[in-house]
Amino acid sequence: MIKIDHLTKRYGKTLAVDDLDFEVRPGVITGFLGPNGSGKSTTMRIILGLDHPTKGSATIEGKRYGELRDPLHEVGALLDAKAIHPGRSARNHLRALAASNRIPFSRVDEVLEFSGIGSVADKKVGDYSLGMSQRLGIAGALLGDPGVLLFDEPVNGLDPEGIRWIREFFRSLANEGRTVFVSSHLMSEMALSADQIIVIGRGKFITQGSVDALTASAKGTVFVRGANHPQLLAALRSHHGVVSEVNDEGLSVSDLTSEQIGQIAFDAGVALYELTPQRASLEEVYMDLTADAVEYGSTGARHE
Amino acid sequence: MSSDVTLGSTIRSEWIKFRTVRSTIMGVVITFVLTIGLGALITTAVRAHWPTMDPARQLTFDPVFASLSGILFAQFAVGVIGTLFITSEYSSGSIRTTLTAIPNRLELVWGKLVVLVASMFVVTEIACFITFLMGQAIFSGVVPTASLSNGAVLRTVILAGVYLTLLSVLGFSLGLILRQSAACISVFTSLLLILPIIAFLLPQSWQNDISKYEPSELGHAMISVTAQSNDFGSWTALVILSIYVAVVFSVGTTMLIRRDA
Repeated sequence: MIKIDHLTKRYGKTLAVDDLDFEVRPGVITGFLGPNGSGKSTTMRIILGLDHPTKGSATIEGKRYGELRDPLHEVGALLDAKAIHPGRSARNHLRALAASNRIPFSRVDEVLEFSGIGSVADKKVGDYSLGMSQRLGIAGALLGDPGVLLFDEPVNGLDPEGIRWIREFFRSLANEGRTVFVSSHLMSEMALSADQIIVIGRGKFITQGSVDALTASAKGTVFVRGANHPQLLAALRSHHGVVSEVNDEGLSVSDLTSEQIGQIAFDAGVALYELTPQRASLEEVYMDLTADAVEYGSTGARHE
Repeated sequence: MSSDVTLGSTIRSEWIKFRTVRSTIMGVVITFVLTIGLGALITTAVRAHWPTMDPARQLTFDPVFASLSGILFAQFAVGVIGTLFITSEYSSGSIRTTLTAIPNRLELVWGKLVVLVASMFVVTEIACFITFLMGQAIFSGVVPTASLSNGAVLRTVILAGVYLTLLSVLGFSLGLILRQSAACISVFTSLLLILPIIAFLLPQSWQNDISKYEPSELGHAMISVTAQSNDFGSWTALVILSIYVAVVFSVGTTMLIRRDA
């Protein structure tokens, strides 16, 4: 389990992470979602002890990263797939990593085969495509057979076959009871691969929940245009409809079906010109959630 | 449960990294070529011109220093090897992977230092002994020669390798502070080449007091069989240069520990 406890990180005047507080549990895939520059990578670097927090802490099984006795056996991480000396071969890169944590070289060959880059293991990493580098990064994360795994934007550069492979791979890791924490700026990817999702924007926590719950919250609205909007509004509210938006064009109504709205309008004697269900995609929910954070970061609305 | 990550495993890991990149191999080859190749050129030239050389210069001629003079060029190669050992981790970003495997930054620095010092000491001593023996062989019969059976000569050849090893640690330490290869190599070169020029512009009386503290002048003192006027003795020079390197190394290590990676 990863625990983020009131974590704050400031770089000069920039507040990269602002009082984040959440847990990442074992046995499920947790997606860490936010627009580019929202603080995902910073949070991951702090979890890995690379950057020092300004306030708060990040712990793994109750310990700060620096206190782990066998780091590669406890945590596997892929931060930046291209962050490997380009002149070194994949095998030598992994051997150096393995040697530091007393992992036998036979394990290096195992993870190379597993990641599908065994046949190019002796090529220079500088000649690797981004997809091959991602696979090498995953091989490195698996070296110590750790119980906690962190992946920062792992699908970047992968082809469709690679993306499917990585989804199945995350699933099997979670099924084995490991903690799997995967960041992405793409909601569509997380909707397919994650169980739990944590959304942040501008370093602030926005929301957290299961993919199902977030999808449910994305049930959408019904757009209504009629003869008398004030009268329609009053009628809908008396039936506990939530009207999220009113303008000259019409009303956006949630918590009521289009059938219910049509009946309410009929009962109220308001002629309807348009009644259109608007099913928001998970992507749109995410855009809505993070729009504030992207455009007006300082307001820091915290929806739950 | 005892930790799997120890100084021993760190050294093993860093040794794999050190020897599996071309920049190290090239650096070692260049160190050999400059030390031995230039030593051969210079000693051959001295032998050719010996009969016509000014007798006063013949009297003060130092066959040891002449045969080792290639290290004046090799010192930049070893500086680059030391620098790249750490700055290549920053330019590629692999420092983050390294630190997730070895979170104890002090242990990482010591591991790298052991690998660098041990390998550079072996490489530079081999280069210095080869160039010395080759130089004396070239001199023999025409130019006066020196022998390793003389304690002062043996000390000088050994200290030549020690000087180069210390400079590789200086390059490494600058790398810990500056993190960028180009910046490090500029500073390293300035310390060895520009500092003497600045001192040269000062009044003569100051020059004598200041120039003997320059890294390159300390190196000269370490590689001289007999003490030069206005210079420290070779052991004193070794101590002073070691203190410089230790200070820069300590600053670099502290910065590695304190800063975000």
